Amino acid sequence: MLVIRRRPGESILIGEDIAIEVLEIGPGRVKLGITAPREIAVLRGEIRLTGETNQLAAREVALPVIESLIERLRARGVCDEK
Amino acid sequence: MPEHKTRYFGTMTFAEDAIIRFPKGLPGFPDETRFLLIEQPVNAPLLFLQSLNRSDLCFLATPAPAICPEFHLSIGAEDLSVIGLPEDRQPAAGKDVLCLALITLSEDKRPAANLLAPVLINWRNHTGVQAIQVESGYSHTHPIFAEREVAPCS
Repeated sequence: MLVIRRRPGESILIGEDIAIEVLEIGPGRVKLGITAPREIAVLRGEIRLTGETNQLAAREVALPVIESLIERLRARGVCDEK
Repeated sequence: MPEHKTRYFGTMTFAEDAIIRFPKGLPGFPDETRFLLIEQPVNAPLLFLQSLNRSDLCFLATPAPAICPEFHLSIGAEDLSVIGLPEDRQPAAGKDVLCLALITLSEDKRPAANLLAPVLINWRNHTGVQAIQVESGYSHTHPIFAEREVAPCS
């Protein structure tokens, strides 16, 4: 992995037509501006996590497991009822 | 009325206007662009998001505010535009949009809800999107039930 230190206002070029600029550095997070051709998909890394989670969530669930989930959801109420 | 074979409910008939279009598909399922939301009082608060393309594909879901009453949305402009909502303000979960958390049940882990990427459905135009929240701090595997007490929301 290439590691580069950047300050706000500085950027990184990837290939001919992708640029990533550091716009702002705040406490605990950084704001980036990305310039790329329309055909390049720019996605947050979490989308892969959600894709993997969806694959797991799509597996068949046995009916008794679903029934027990419904019962537990009903018994649980909502999370401020402590 | 059209009929469709479902994963958990056999063959169901449904009205054309019950179809929810997901123009972007779902993450991991880019080709699944049409779903039915199966909502039955006997199964509440569990709902079923059944693909109209694949009979064997059906997600379990529950309203995100049922998992976390203080649930708030932080959705990017692009995802808001996919479902035809104004991009200059955040929709209210359960009011402007139906906001569902997909549930993962795996044998070795406790049931978890994806609060990081809720499924938003705009009933006004029958479109939906699974949107990765921009600045939320919510988990994609939020435990629905804790060992002893209810899991905290964030």
